[in-house]
Amino acid sequence: MKSKGKWYCGRVVFLLALVIAVALVGVGCVSGLTPIGWSGGIVSNSILYVGSNEGRLVAVNLADESLKTSDPLKLASQPGLFGCAPSAGGGCGAGISRVAIYGTPVVAGDLVYIAGYNGKIYAYDKNDISQPRWVYPPEDYLRDDKKDIVPIVGGIVAAQGRLYFGGSDGKVYALDTNTHKELWKFPTDDKIWSTPAIDGDTLYVGSFDKKLYALNAADGKKKWEFVTEGAIISTPLVYNNTIYFGSFDRNLYAVNACDGKLKWKFMGKNWFWAEPVVFNDTIYAGCLDGNVYVLKADSGQEVKIFDLKSPVSSQPVIVDSSVIFATRKGVIYSIATGSQDIKQVADLKADVDGPLTAYEGIVYIHTQQLELQRINAANGTLYSPVSLKS
Amino acid sequence: MNIWELIIQQPVINILIVMSHYLANNFGLAIIALTVIVNLALLPLTMSQIRSSKKMQDLQPKLVDLQKKYAKDKQKLAQEQMKLYKESGVRPAGCALTMIIQMPVWIALYQAIMLALAVAPEGLLNLSKYLYPWQVVYSVLPLNPDFLIMNLAQPNLILALLVGVTMWLQQKMSMTPQADPRQAQQANMMLWMMPILFAYMALNFTSGLSLYWVTSSVFRIILQYRVTGWGGLRKQAPTPASESDKKYLKFEAAQEKKSSKDAGADIVDADSISSRKGTRIFKTDKYKFQPDKDRERHRKK
Repeated sequence: MKSKGKWYCGRVVFLLALVIAVALVGVGCVSGLTPIGWSGGIVSNSILYVGSNEGRLVAVNLADESLKTSDPLKLASQPGLFGCAPSAGGGCGAGISRVAIYGTPVVAGDLVYIAGYNGKIYAYDKNDISQPRWVYPPEDYLRDDKKDIVPIVGGIVAAQGRLYFGGSDGKVYALDTNTHKELWKFPTDDKIWSTPAIDGDTLYVGSFDKKLYALNAADGKKKWEFVTEGAIISTPLVYNNTIYFGSFDRNLYAVNACDGKLKWKFMGKNWFWAEPVVFNDTIYAGCLDGNVYVLKADSGQEVKIFDLKSPVSSQPVIVDSSVIFATRKGVIYSIATGSQDIKQVADLKADVDGPLTAYEGIVYIHTQQLELQRINAANGTLYSPVSLKS
Repeated sequence: MNIWELIIQQPVINILIVMSHYLANNFGLAIIALTVIVNLALLPLTMSQIRSSKKMQDLQPKLVDLQKKYAKDKQKLAQEQMKLYKESGVRPAGCALTMIIQMPVWIALYQAIMLALAVAPEGLLNLSKYLYPWQVVYSVLPLNPDFLIMNLAQPNLILALLVGVTMWLQQKMSMTPQADPRQAQQANMMLWMMPILFAYMALNFTSGLSLYWVTSSVFRIILQYRVTGWGGLRKQAPTPASESDKKYLKFEAAQEKKSSKDAGADIVDADSISSRKGTRIFKTDKYKFQPDKDRERHRKK
């Protein structure tokens, strides 16, 4: 009788332990549930500004490799069981202790602006980034609708004394950089994770509601909209009066900037996640199917396809006459725009999701391993990485 | 992709997405539909476990006999019990087996929910590698997380409570009456601990997973009801004062049930007898502990 009691007790404990263990393993093994961030960099006066995966703005002096970091962006709320707090913009697996930064910082005047997954825009002094000069909305701001935080995934566009960005609440915002006040906001029907693009007085932004919007930058009035068959997350590229962007329907679209009419579309085998680049009337678009599609900008005619054997999610850069691509696995390729030849430049053996940055012939790559890798685009020399750890 | 992703995670993700598309872009309905399908696939196993549980109830009198017979030889008792289980086709670990088999589905579902609902940008980016090359899959992503008044990507208190309540009901219905107070105590602990644990987990995970648990529990409640009726949910008889009285009561109830039309648990019969006679059965002399008379009556039967 006693042994059976023990057996029962053991069974109860075993089952409970099993459930907890499986829950922990199941959650812990899932990759991609924790917002980490993939900010690219921007260079101003030989200083590269980048949002680190520790939730800080980092300023790297490219001359002497010295580092300055801001205080970490403030979390909206604390994590729950097993580090899970999806409602707070967090996720599961590692325990959220920092704010993810996805958008590349922008520099305008004396300030560096950065958007956080905690739903806030931070403005830092270029020379002293330890504390933000101002934050929008303020840290003690309570939203009118008292809803959860509105994560910002896309980047910011700065133009004519204004900041433009989209939020996960589906709204496009325009802020006055002097007053830090909201000038206007434009609602869409779903989340916005795309970074807007501005050309003249028109702002272009894609939404999860499958539409690309052209808005009047002055007042946020809609000029036109273009409907696709999938959500739009890629940043639009404006070139020669044409907007190029990818959609979740696997097409790369070319739309007339004036009236929003379709010029052409090209279908890949997966999403065109990253913004394409253009050189000599030729579009270079990386796709999550592992290919780089080279297309004629005016007609969408296929010029060449390069198989990089790994998805491409980071925006490429143009250095001299070469287009530099990075795969998600960290293999760097250079495509010569003249001969359309490709060569592998380096293998970082690190995950790369964020946009690449080029400055004076050096390509800077922010990896998920909290490092800033540096590659000479001309000869492929890989310099020692700069650690972004604070 | 590894084997887990290829065999479990990828199909679950794509099935959920396609279902969501055909169910008016409602991810909640897709989760419910998938849960029903998973439970239907596990139906033979579940039914076997429920029937096993039912047999376990029927075996109680024999187990009591064995306990009496081999009270001083625990090893022999264990052997005889196992022999009895084997002969009767009872699998004591059946419940655990069903739960363990479902665990990969929970994990895959959790992963699918987190990835498909674009809870984190990295999740959506990673999702791309799991998608089958069907246009319908690409065009509906990312999925709408709203279901009724809930956001399936976030925890929900009401659904977490429902997880606990439905799981408790289901466990209570399938509970086997225990002759041994220690076993009864363990079973009772299990009855409360599991629902509390799952409700707590539901409070911290996405409510999409909670929706799966609730639907699954409701499905099993229906099955349980069809096989055993309300089972342990029926009003339980008061515990007799002595150990031997309790054993006797279980024994009698089980014997009575065999001749009745009802297919419920032992306690069900006791209640039905009580209601038919219009008296409280435990006050009658018939149910008093009378070892000699009882053995004699049992032999005659």
